[in-house]
Amino acid sequence: MFPQIAVGTLEQGLMYAIMVLGVYLTFRILDYADLTVEGSFTLGGATAAILIYNGTNPWLATAIAFAAGCLGGTFTGFLHTRFKISPLLSGILTMTALYSVNLRVMGRANVSLLKARTIFTDFKNLPGMHTYGVLVLAFLTIFVLGVLLYLFLKTELGLAMRATGDNELMIRSLGVNTNGMKLLGLALSNGLVALSGSFVAQNQQFADAGMGIGMIVAGLASLIIGEVLIGTSNLGRTLIAVICGGIIYRIIIAIALQMGLGPTDLKMITAFIVIIALAAPNMKFKVSALSSAARGKETNYANSK
Amino acid sequence: MLTVNNLTKVFNQGTINEKIALDRVQLHLDPGDFVTVIGSNGAGKSTLMNAIAGTFLPDQGHIILDGKDITKLPSFKRAELISRVFQDPMSGTAASMTIEENLIMALKRGEPRRLRWALKGKERESFREELTKLGLGLEGRLTTKVRLLSGGQRQALTLLMATLKKPRLLLLDEHTAALDPKTAEKVLNLTCSVTEKSHLTTLMITHNLEQALAVGNRTLMMHDGRIILDLKGTDRNNMSMNRLLEMFEKASGVHMNNDRMILASTF
Repeated sequence: MFPQIAVGTLEQGLMYAIMVLGVYLTFRILDYADLTVEGSFTLGGATAAILIYNGTNPWLATAIAFAAGCLGGTFTGFLHTRFKISPLLSGILTMTALYSVNLRVMGRANVSLLKARTIFTDFKNLPGMHTYGVLVLAFLTIFVLGVLLYLFLKTELGLAMRATGDNELMIRSLGVNTNGMKLLGLALSNGLVALSGSFVAQNQQFADAGMGIGMIVAGLASLIIGEVLIGTSNLGRTLIAVICGGIIYRIIIAIALQMGLGPTDLKMITAFIVIIALAAPNMKFKVSALSSAARGKETNYANSK
Repeated sequence: MLTVNNLTKVFNQGTINEKIALDRVQLHLDPGDFVTVIGSNGAGKSTLMNAIAGTFLPDQGHIILDGKDITKLPSFKRAELISRVFQDPMSGTAASMTIEENLIMALKRGEPRRLRWALKGKERESFREELTKLGLGLEGRLTTKVRLLSGGQRQALTLLMATLKKPRLLLLDEHTAALDPKTAEKVLNLTCSVTEKSHLTTLMITHNLEQALAVGNRTLMMHDGRIILDLKGTDRNNMSMNRLLEMFEKASGVHMNNDRMILASTF
């Protein structure tokens, strides 16, 4: 028997990893810093929560949450491709608009799902799933999504999307409508983020208008942690890194909480993780310069013997 | 094959920086023509090429390729007909993707991208064959990321990508200028052999006067957005580099003071 906190952390990590997959799709594949994530995460949670609250089948509600996220991403993509608004600003605009949309969707600041039927209560009712039902469902979901994304990125369409983020001029000259690729990528990405939001809301049994705040930085932190620790030598490995990054990030957060930091300090910790990760290449250069200087001395010493 | 009719493009129209980049350009290319284009900086060579490729829309005139008016077609829709190699070796390939992934994208040039598995064994085999012909040892490195290749290797790969699916028109924008002399020669030889073999209609910008006369069957000189010299046949065969330089000065009424061109001509 694992301690409850470890199981809980792992469950959360797997659910947030869905969001990190979405962030990976825009940030790394499309090279598009998409802040829509902050709004679409909440949108997913809010949509699923209000539908379930009003008696919709939770599986259907989760699917609709995914679709709602896709719409949010499409809107951002539309602002960027159609009106040439910069990636950063188009994301911020959608994110801001979505804040109001989310409040409209829920009709209030938060919706409680206590004792409501969710995908997790359904899954737990399956034989043998009572204790680890949430964990198993979250794991299966991320596994299937990871495999699907891997397969997608190896198709003709997937290659064209990767090339759009890598060298837009080149893939346009090979006859790909890169605006279409960006729209598709942003839609899929925010769909995944909203799906993650709907999982989190159903697991914590409430949705809140503020649940997406700081999500992009958390996503980036997870992404970078995964890439650094696991590596990115090929696509499959990178996807595993992205998913593990999401889980490891949650573990770090859990440890920070255990050490006595308050939940209100978490955003700062996350920001620092990203700062360290982004500053690391520069610092690494200095450290390696120092250590190679040290090594140089050693060899000199060895030669002089 | 290619007909450019009265093509005009003005940049910054109505401002103090107004620049007539293309001034009623007339050009006709026959199938299989390999045309080299020379001219000083700002003469309109690259603008002409960008207009043909669809980077921007011209203010006036028409571009007809293979009997089809492509004047208003967005660049990605011209890809089926036209392929390009740029000066910068980095700009023709996707660095984070593997050699075989780059090649398969090039093989699908101008075709709709579908939700189906991109790479198959049969294609890998033909890529290996094509890469062997480059003679750069890339045939054994299909799954290497392009980022790890040298500039020359990347440019040779770009050239292969541009011709993998035969284009109606091949545009080469100083594609050897950023390479060291030895690699440049190799890429140029590859260019000649592939255009000859596939009988490609080609337009090549160069700053090297010797190259301009040695390669291809026709040479254009541009100045101030106009084609001021069109050399072919015996005229071209009898042309020497020095006379070409003189003709440029005479035709344009400007003393030749383009360092790059003079330097290039001393090779």
